[in-house]
Amino acid sequence: MITKKILLSFPKVATGKPMAMELIKTYNLDFSILKALIDDNIKGTLLLEIRGEANDLNAGIVFLRENQIGVKEVQSMVVVDEKKCISCGACTAVCAVNALEMDENWSLIHHEDKCLECMLCVKACPMRAIHAVM
Amino acid sequence: MAKTYQEINEKIAKGEAVVVTAEEVIDIVKKRGVKEAADYVDVVTTATFGPMCSSGAFLNFGHSDPPIRMAEITLNGVVASGGLAAVDTYLGATQPSNDRGIEYGGAHVINDLIAGKEVHLVAKSPGTDCYPRKEIDTWVTLADLNEAYLFNPRNCYQNYNAAINTSSKRIYTYMGILQPNMGNITYSTAGELSPLLNDPLLKTIGMGTRIFLGGAQGYVSWMGTQFNTACERDEKGYPTTPGATLALIGNMKEMNPAYIRGAVYEKYGTSMFVGVGIPIPILNEEMMSFVSVENKDLHTNVLDYSVSKGGHPTLKKVSYAELRSGSVDINGKIIKTSPMSSLKVAREIALELNHWIKKGKFFLQEPIQTFPIGNALKGLEIKEGESR
Repeated sequence: MITKKILLSFPKVATGKPMAMELIKTYNLDFSILKALIDDNIKGTLLLEIRGEANDLNAGIVFLRENQIGVKEVQSMVVVDEKKCISCGACTAVCAVNALEMDENWSLIHHEDKCLECMLCVKACPMRAIHAVM
Repeated sequence: MAKTYQEINEKIAKGEAVVVTAEEVIDIVKKRGVKEAADYVDVVTTATFGPMCSSGAFLNFGHSDPPIRMAEITLNGVVASGGLAAVDTYLGATQPSNDRGIEYGGAHVINDLIAGKEVHLVAKSPGTDCYPRKEIDTWVTLADLNEAYLFNPRNCYQNYNAAINTSSKRIYTYMGILQPNMGNITYSTAGELSPLLNDPLLKTIGMGTRIFLGGAQGYVSWMGTQFNTACERDEKGYPTTPGATLALIGNMKEMNPAYIRGAVYEKYGTSMFVGVGIPIPILNEEMMSFVSVENKDLHTNVLDYSVSKGGHPTLKKVSYAELRSGSVDINGKIIKTSPMSSLKVAREIALELNHWIKKGKFFLQEPIQTFPIGNALKGLEIKEGESR
């Protein structure tokens, strides 16, 4: 049994199809919806934490892609734009779990697996270099 | 043996000057001692890259045909001063835009100009006999402007307090987001690399000192606002409270957008990260002794930002080594400490200035006038009565 966090993007053609039911019924997958932004007939994004056997999980992802759904594995809900980041450290002040911390050279490092998705770093970043993935 | 500015500049011209950063010099002094190190090293480079709100730019747009006397001016929706001559303006770094608020302010316009981007200029005027045009709507780049120079009234705070929040609510400050119940401490300094902490009594940094400003060669133009040299000091003369400041000037047309960056502090406002590097000539053993200071010997106060009336109360005096260690103990509670200014970029600036000097591209300028020591800070008294 493995767990992955995946971000699904539904183009207009794929909205309205019962994809989630297929994942449960056909591929024996279990999931929690972490975040959903869906506009019927326009587009949608869905962040899932998905659990199942490795084979089933891979097959489920192939099925989604065959239906024009973008599938991206994500570790963390936030992305740090390294081009914008100046390593000031303001985000580390609010990161309670040290998912964002300074290394020995005072350069920012992002431990994506530690993130608890409080999203405070997005507000704390003076360069606006930290964005939510959706 | 003492050296003069001229002797050091002659060495720079010959490519023989020994130039090290204020971090590198610490080990040199430990190994060789102050006397020998003072003979060996000619220049020590210092730098800082932190948010400095009291910054801005003077711009001259040139005259349109027919001309306009610009009274209400916006650049990318950010209001600039109409209080100067017809096509001169001052754009303040912290001015928010009319459409995007603090997310895009004067500092971001300055960064966009330095990056070579086109900026939307809109101005209005009542119209006069000699300046008949009443409106202008156009796009300008830095290259189109006659003059564009940063003039920052207060940069390079010699020292600055660290911040904490003892209240039960999260607060949003220019020292970042402070978590409730003493959840974190923030501090903003380059510490042992910081310009004015390496020359605590301003023996070599004064009006006319040539500096690195935003990637260009700029100058110290005056003492900075809120200049406080009557501040508390340790026994060696290093300030333990905010202390001196500098007013800086430099040509935007020679700057690098990596070193002048717009910043947003949530629920506070726009600010600007300013990259400054200042060379310190090692004229004698006293200067060598000053620049060899380490974070463990530099101190500041942790102030409670949740209390504003009567000034922020002091909770504890700490060293920069303690702040850099990642946590500080206050009344038995271990509290996480985080920086607000970028030591990483400050180090890049100290090295870049170092290379300029070694390559003979940058020469030292002796101050035309030194700044006063013992200059105290005044508050603002609220006086009653409508007319006086």
